[in-house]
Amino acid sequence: MTGPILSLRGITKSYAQGTAFDRLFGRDKRFVALAGISLEIARSDVVGIVGESGSGKSTLANISVGLTRPTSGEVLLDGEPLSALMRDHGGPWRRRIQMAFQDSSSALNPRKSVSRCLTETLALRGVPKPEREAEALAMLALVGLGAELAPRLPHELSGGQRQRVGLARALAMKPDILIADEPVSSLDVSLQAQVINLLSRLTRELGLTLLFISHDLALVRTLCSRIIVMRKGEIVEQGPCLDVLDRPTHPYTQLLIAAVPKGIKGRRQQAATVDIASPISPARESAG
Amino acid sequence: MSGTGRMEGSGTGGPLLRIEGLRVGFRSADGGVVEAVRGVDFSVAAGEAVGVVGESGSGKSLSMLAVMRLLGSPARTTGGRVMFDGQDLLALDEARMRAIRGRDIAMVFQDPQSSLNPALTIGRQITDVVRAHRQVSGAEARRIAAESLERVGIRDAGKRLDAYPHEFSGGMRQRALIAMAIACRPRLLIADEPTTALDVTVQAQIVDLIAELRRDLGIAVIFISHNLQLVAEIVDRVVVMYGGKVVEDGPVEAIELRPRHPYTGLLQACVPNLTGPVGPLVAIEGAPPRLGRMPQGCPFSPRCPHVVEACIEEMPPLEREAELRFACWRPQ
Amino acid sequence: MRGLSSTLRMIDWTGWLGAGIVLVMVCAAIFAPLIAPYDPVALSIEDRLLAPDMAHWLGTDQAGRDVLSRVIFGARASLAVGIGAVVIGALIGVSAGLFAAYKGGLGDQIVMRIVDGVASIPLLVWAIAIVGILGVGPVRVGPLLLPNEIKIVLLVGVLFSPVFARVTYAVASRVVGADYVRARWLQGATHWDIVSGDILPNCLSPIIVQGTLLVAIGIVVEASVSFVGLGVQPPQASWGSMLSDARSAIYSGEWWLPVFPGLAISITVIGFNLLGDAVRELFDPRSEARTLVA
Repeated sequence: MTGPILSLRGITKSYAQGTAFDRLFGRDKRFVALAGISLEIARSDVVGIVGESGSGKSTLANISVGLTRPTSGEVLLDGEPLSALMRDHGGPWRRRIQMAFQDSSSALNPRKSVSRCLTETLALRGVPKPEREAEALAMLALVGLGAELAPRLPHELSGGQRQRVGLARALAMKPDILIADEPVSSLDVSLQAQVINLLSRLTRELGLTLLFISHDLALVRTLCSRIIVMRKGEIVEQGPCLDVLDRPTHPYTQLLIAAVPKGIKGRRQQAATVDIASPISPARESAG
Repeated sequence: MSGTGRMEGSGTGGPLLRIEGLRVGFRSADGGVVEAVRGVDFSVAAGEAVGVVGESGSGKSLSMLAVMRLLGSPARTTGGRVMFDGQDLLALDEARMRAIRGRDIAMVFQDPQSSLNPALTIGRQITDVVRAHRQVSGAEARRIAAESLERVGIRDAGKRLDAYPHEFSGGMRQRALIAMAIACRPRLLIADEPTTALDVTVQAQIVDLIAELRRDLGIAVIFISHNLQLVAEIVDRVVVMYGGKVVEDGPVEAIELRPRHPYTGLLQACVPNLTGPVGPLVAIEGAPPRLGRMPQGCPFSPRCPHVVEACIEEMPPLEREAELRFACWRPQ
Repeated sequence: MRGLSSTLRMIDWTGWLGAGIVLVMVCAAIFAPLIAPYDPVALSIEDRLLAPDMAHWLGTDQAGRDVLSRVIFGARASLAVGIGAVVIGALIGVSAGLFAAYKGGLGDQIVMRIVDGVASIPLLVWAIAIVGILGVGPVRVGPLLLPNEIKIVLLVGVLFSPVFARVTYAVASRVVGADYVRARWLQGATHWDIVSGDILPNCLSPIIVQGTLLVAIGIVVEASVSFVGLGVQPPQASWGSMLSDARSAIYSGEWWLPVFPGLAISITVIGFNLLGDAVRELFDPRSEARTLVA
């Protein structure tokens, strides 16, 4: 168990673009979401993946857990190929890798109570029936929620509470690795802080390996030890989080850093923002 | 940057927009009314940029929709006045309100995708607005539309007029919406979370654009956001809302450097930044009050670390001290 | 969930009217032997073609049978075919729609193209044609002897199934992509558990609305099939066959013979439509805004 807990080898993903006619006449283009990504994540590592929409970071998350099949390349979970593991749909390997989702409103089944959502998860982990209720409450407590929420339905919870129940559900499988795809971007700043603090505590206390996908550099800086910057399906920069954010080498990383709102201090830098933005952003804008 | 728009109370005939005791309620299932905006007062001077900040459910967007008279059922304005240019917008008939909307006050919304009609060209949508408010020829309207697009930083504006919304990126769509909003040279632009749906780099560009338009065209701006750091980059004054009330209001420097209301301070502290030591974030425990379950006293009292008995019993009044107004029994 | 009382308050008077009509018709069908004043098939030569009076409220027909009793018993055939066909159609259609939406890919294509094929069949014409070909007698399927009514229920049910398949498919395709379904899949839950526990319950509302509206169409189909003599066989009462028998009466002035079964069909169809609209309103997320803030 000394190797990387998760490795991605030469992952590419492309989608067909254009109409059936284009395909018929061989004029179809393929949209490349991921252009050959290789990376390794060590046990208990906390890695942030940052990038904007179209960078391929969500596709990467989906491929890592098997929700999307890569066009080529291989995902290895503890050295075993994911494609082989997936033939055993409900196998015990399932609990090792779990995912937390972005949209708190669609993350929970609107017709299932919090307690049912957690107990059915625990059942799949193999927890005996008499212990499930207590264990579900323990999972709620772990994410900082009280037992009084257990009988509630998702619409009776706030966005932050739903997000934390979603997290509790992922953690109820006792995963070794958690992939969190923009878990706080739909939350207010105060709830954001609550969830980030929670994730930070869990990685420290449970030794959880975390792949944190976000567009918010400041959050990644707070939470992660390593950062990977993606743009248009490629990794443009990676390294220890504080090093990369303090001394970015790639212009895109610099651009992302410049775009972080800085309050009244940001006012004096406005001119600078525009200067850094100009080499890349006009191309981006007119490409649309 | 400073020196623009410190005009509140200066003898130029009062502020451009003055909201007085504005209340917005929803009709509830049992026939009662649940208030979501509970007496909001603030004003905007001509050319001034004001940020309205608060968490979701604070009533910031509802207040602005009420100002524009765009509230849809089941929400409706239940009290107060909105004085614009010496007349109460809430008392105008619909025809006169329509004339003001888009011409004198324009609004930009969060989602540029759903704010544009996918079936019409960008140019058509801008010229429609222009011709609704000004007696101009088609060619003249087109010239104005092209000028507006150019103004918001879209190159080749003449050609771009014939493009459809789907041919634009998210950032360009938001630019097109701003072009539509400024086409009639309004005196007030209300931007409701205009960058939330956009990527961070595009967000920075749009914020810069709004600052630039306001500087060059002298348009007053109300910028609604949940991100204090973001609005602080471009506004003169910040209004902090919580539980349907204004809890603090003052110049951006004072709000950011020395806020008096505990909520303002916490709202700022829970956003991490890119400098300084890394550590646990300051979190405001609990959640904003739910509609219809507003605490009797200060709405923030259940979450406030400095709460005393008075906070629970009675809502503190919004009082002025030096350049700030704040509603708190125990200001920091 | 919202409280029952606030939910019921959302139903306007047309919805209550629809529910009332449906309730009355269902009761009439179930308790027909208790309610009906006369035997619906008893012939009585001396009571032929009596106009409505105190003894026979809706008059009697050419064979001296009480029209009110026949209308009450006729509700059985109409509702049995309407509701039975909807249940059959829902079983087939919902399964097909769920399968196609969950499976995706080739399975999706095959199932939904079959659905398109069945949907291209003109409902009424085929119902009449098939019963015409098979005859009105019982049909033997293996060890089972299916009476004509069951045959019609099955037939109309199959013809209804594409409507259910498409509605289910449309909603389920969206639900399948929801994060809570993806989360269940990632946990390794069985496909059956995912479909029956997470997808189906979140597709039910439009299916129920569709079902309520289709009962009305089923009633019309039964009446039409019976009208051309291929449905419920004499002497059993059915609104369609009563109308058919009354054709000659239109010219000879016995107005009560066509009017009452006709009214029964119209009122029942209106009842189910009003109820369907009310149910749609209840499930419509936009109308939920009215009580959301409470």
